[in-house]
Order: sequence, then structure tokens, then C-alpha cells
Amino acid sequence: MRIESEKPAVAEVDMTPMIDIVFQLIAFFMVITNFEQTEADERVKLPVDSLARPPKVKAAHELYINIGFERDKTGNKLLSNPFVFLPGEKFRVIDYGRKLQQEKRLYRARGIDPKEVTIIIRSDAEVPTGLVQELIKLAQDAKFEKFALKAIQENQ
Amino acid sequence: MKIRCRFQAEKITPQMAPMIDVVFQLLIFFMLTLRIVESEGDFNINMPAHIPSQMMTDAPVFPDIKVRLEAMPDGSLRMLYLGPNQLGNDRQAFQELNRQILTIIGKPGNPLTKDIEVEIDADYNLGFQHVISAVSACTGRLSKQGQVVRYVEKIKFAPPKRPAGGA
Repeated sequence: MRIESEKPAVAEVDMTPMIDIVFQLIAFFMVITNFEQTEADERVKLPVDSLARPPKVKAAHELYINIGFERDKTGNKLLSNPFVFLPGEKFRVIDYGRKLQQEKRLYRARGIDPKEVTIIIRSDAEVPTGLVQELIKLAQDAKFEKFALKAIQENQ
Repeated sequence: MKIRCRFQAEKITPQMAPMIDVVFQLLIFFMLTLRIVESEGDFNINMPAHIPSQMMTDAPVFPDIKVRLEAMPDGSLRMLYLGPNQLGNDRQAFQELNRQILTIIGKPGNPLTKDIEVEIDADYNLGFQHVISAVSACTGRLSKQGQVVRYVEKIKFAPPKRPAGGA
């Protein structure tokens, strides 16, 4: 009697769903990291400049300061004086020195020299320059030395 | 006579899974390309703490370039100066500043002039946009390839001068 041997079945793995899921995950994490990088405050309307390019190397330690005006939904200023905005609170610029001293102590407690911290100033285009300079001076008094001014990249 | 239809119509079930996959991919693609947050750039400012004058041993080879910005009472630009020279108060004034800075440094990346520092002295009430324009004009220009050609690396601010009677 002739016995027919059964051929081993070749299990075919369908790769399509796996590739789909991998793409979805990649896209998801790309979106998430995009949102994480912004420490923006929507009340601040940054100045615009063609030379404003995102830095190639990110500073090791960054401290963001948002200065702007209280605005209504149409973008009109509600108050003429600008404020330093923090989540849930706001300070007058000249009162922000106390907070900067506090930041200095916090960095030192973590073993970080304030000189290594870059203060990133996100100032509204209409804020008087003198107040930005006052803020820089207050930061210098708190031993911060590195500063960067933010602007929106102008489309060519 | 009764005629029987020999062929029964086949029910076609469309494969929905690949279509949904492709739709999701397109959705994600457009979500990523949509510019939710406009891209922001930095201008670095060199503002070390004050060094006592007796600690400064060597005088700088090149004196600082002084850029002065005068403001109108409403915060707009009255006049832009490079040293004693008036450059104007419009977009061309900043382009002229950019040209003159290039003339001073010779060529971008010149090792002889890389230590040149620009001091920006702006009126207290001047809108910050004008200062950024001045910083940008001193920093350099964009090449045709869209790369930044740097003129001056070191930019600092003059101490703020509060207006008389200000807070």
C-alpha cells in the first residue's frame, strides 16, 4: 500500500497589520514629542524674524520665561502692563526677581550651577524692551548668565 | 416554461481593513504636516555678570559696535543708529545695518573679527520687535540655501535706562 506523506504546511506570517501598527506607533510618538517641546504661552505673541532658527543643540538646562499681555479672544490687550506668566499665576516683571532667586536655590539644591542654565525669554513683540532688560538684570542678580531670546521663524 | 437562472449573483464583500489602515495613515500624515505650533528660533545674548574693571587686563583689539535704537512715545522706532550714523526707521534701515556690520567684520567667520561684540542700546519703551530685528541684522543673514551666515556671535544689551518718573 502506498502511504502518502503529508507535506509540512508553511505558516505564512501576514506582515501587513504589524507594519501598520508600527507606523501608527511611530506617528503617535512623533506627535507626542512635538507637543512636549513647546513651553509656550498662547498669550505671548512673539516677534517675527527670518533669522530665527531652532537651535541645533539644545541647552543642557533651560528655564523658560513668558512675558506678555492679558489679551481677549480677538487679541486686543486688556491691560497695558505686561506680566510674566506662569501656569495659574502671573507676576509683574519687576516682582519676578524673588521667583528667580527661588529658581537659583532650586538649581543649586540639584547640584546645578545657575551659570549653566540658559534663560529662554519668550517676550511678546509689543513688550517694552526696558522690561526685558530689567528681567535680564534680575536674572543676572540671581547668577544666571546665559540668555536666549525667542522669535517666530518668518516664512520666506 | 420556467427558465431557471443558472448563475447566482455572488455577494462581494469589500475588504474594509486595508482601507481603514490607509485612511489612518493619511490622517496621521496630515496631522503631522499641519503646523500646529509655529516653529520658534533663538537669538543668544551674551550677558555675563559684571566683571570689575581692574580684573580686565587686556583691552579689546576691536572696540564694541554700538547700535542705538530711539523710540517714539508709542513704542515705535524713531531712529536706528550705528555708532553716530543715522540709518532710518524702516525695514531698509535694518538691511543697511546688516550691510554695514558686514563691512566692519570684513567677511563672515573672519577669525580677526570674531571677538567683536555688538552692544544694543534701546530706549526703555521701544517695542521688543525692533530689538529682535536689530539683533537679527547684527547676527547675520540667510544664504540662498537657507543657512544662517553668522556675522557677529557676541551681542549684549546696554543697561536699561528707566524713564524719569518710571517705576
